[in-house]
Amino acid sequence: MTRNGPAALFFHTLVVIFMLAPLVIVCLVAFTPENTLSLPTRGFSLRWFEAVFHHPDFVQSFWNSLWLAVLSATLAVALAVPASLAITRWEFPGRGFLNALFLSPLIIPHLVLGVAMLRLFAVVGAAGSFGWLVAAHMVIVTPYVMRLLIAAISGFDRSVEQAAFSLGASEATVFRRVTLPMILPGVTGGWLIAFINSFDELTMSIFITSPSTVTLPVRMYMYATESIDPMMAAVSALIIGITAVAVLLLDRVYGLDRILVGQH
Amino acid sequence: MSFLELKNITKRYGPLTAVGDVSLSVEKGEFVSLLGPSGCGKTTTLQMIAGFVEPSAGTIRLDGRDITRAKANSRGLGIVFQSYALFPHMTVFDNVSFGLEMQRVPKGERKPRVEEALSLVHLSPYAKRYPRELSGGQRQRVALARALVIRPPVLLLDEPLSNLDAKLREAMQFELREIQRKVGTTTVMVTHDQAEAFSISDRVVVMEAGRITQIDQPYRIYEHPETEFISRFVGKTNLLPGKVVTATGAGATVSLAGIAVPVETPGLSVGETVTLCIRPEKLHLAAPAGGLLTGRVADRFFLGSQWLYHIDGPLGTLMVVTPNDGSTPAEQGAPVGLEWSPSVVRVHRGAMAEAPDVALEVTG
Repeated sequence: MTRNGPAALFFHTLVVIFMLAPLVIVCLVAFTPENTLSLPTRGFSLRWFEAVFHHPDFVQSFWNSLWLAVLSATLAVALAVPASLAITRWEFPGRGFLNALFLSPLIIPHLVLGVAMLRLFAVVGAAGSFGWLVAAHMVIVTPYVMRLLIAAISGFDRSVEQAAFSLGASEATVFRRVTLPMILPGVTGGWLIAFINSFDELTMSIFITSPSTVTLPVRMYMYATESIDPMMAAVSALIIGITAVAVLLLDRVYGLDRILVGQH
Repeated sequence: MSFLELKNITKRYGPLTAVGDVSLSVEKGEFVSLLGPSGCGKTTTLQMIAGFVEPSAGTIRLDGRDITRAKANSRGLGIVFQSYALFPHMTVFDNVSFGLEMQRVPKGERKPRVEEALSLVHLSPYAKRYPRELSGGQRQRVALARALVIRPPVLLLDEPLSNLDAKLREAMQFELREIQRKVGTTTVMVTHDQAEAFSISDRVVVMEAGRITQIDQPYRIYEHPETEFISRFVGKTNLLPGKVVTATGAGATVSLAGIAVPVETPGLSVGETVTLCIRPEKLHLAAPAGGLLTGRVADRFFLGSQWLYHIDGPLGTLMVVTPNDGSTPAEQGAPVGLEWSPSVVRVHRGAMAEAPDVALEVTG
């Protein structure tokens, strides 16, 4: 490994500052006692956090987002586990097509997906349904889960399953006792990354949420178009906090390097 | 009636025949090795016995029962994989116990049986460890204990020692044989290592390009290889092309580049093209003038217990192995004579094949 020279170190520091500064500043602003978006200069206050928790729309949207993220991540994993097993292990007609289909939402802009979903929901008469919102989020998060699982399954030694099979285990038992525990880091990692993606999704959700299913990012967007006050900063700080916890968990159970660099 | 019987087993993958018409009978308690270069079909054959690969044709019978189409999880065979294939998320104890659990052995009975199996492979103190905390040799033993604990009628070993380093491999060979003798389980091992196959098997099955070419006791395969391929594949050998010049009922004389060599093979006819096969340790160095041939030491290699010489002579370069008896070896460049007894010369009919032992790789 080569060491970075002083110029490179300086440059890296600038990039990191550039990336982190907005997050740090928004978190600091969240603690302001003032009525305007400003850095706290006369002490810290939790009044804007309190305001968030007393704002019924934001509380409702928070629960909407949480449920939406938990459900869509769980269902995406339930779909992706058998799909990745099939795609990785068997040659069948349409295998490449299926793989591309599962990964395609990654390259379609969320704006386009949002408009398409809006139209689809209108046609099937599902506008405003929470169930359909979950389905739409599944479309977006499944590719992330698939990518992680395919990586986890590709490095899998099939003879371990054969060994279990030869010892008298049924197919179902082999899956439950051997395959699933062995790919569990990929499953958990996939679930968390799906959760994060669903929890922050804005662009598509703007189109397909109804007043009763507004998610937290959509609620923030709507609020920010009307008025800007430090409550926005408090909500942002909370989202940053939740996402950071999820990323930390992800790093512990799966390793960020493996997701971001693709090493495994 | 033999215990495990393969009858005309064939496996085709599209136009490719991985295993062709293999028939083999294994007696109860016997240790049989399938030996051959990679791609010869030995692993596919083992997988068909195990039930992981379905034969295209032929039958497999175990103790008189036809198991050709039986699922792998109903055969009850013990299998040790090349990669060991331990369950990484289970302790050694749970790994070994898994098979008993699957066979619904009551919990109280499982513990003593697992302990017995672990003590058989000398791993009792490691029961609570995870596979990642064990060395290669220890993992190998866990895999063996896990396969034996279910008291399988047949134990299948797929290149069981190939991932171990040389010294450990040798020690494990003998231990494997000792354990097999102790429990008396009929065993079929796949290996590409002839030393491994020879030292621990009752019989060796040599496979080449999907077919069995010889089934015999190890020393007989070494001393009487039935084909030129086997003599090349099994140990080192000197192959010499020649022509029969005289033939009697009991033997013949073969001319090798003008040098007449007596052989004891009956049934040869004058003028026939043959290939003589002489093992390097059957050749002896003699005084330069004496012996059947004279040559010069082109190279010599010290192998510890032996010396390997390359001798240049009228027949090309011959390999000679002599035991290291402590005496001064022949110098490089020194003229030497070579002698051998006619009884050690094996004769293969036909001309020498140019490209040996390259077969299409099908499975590991």
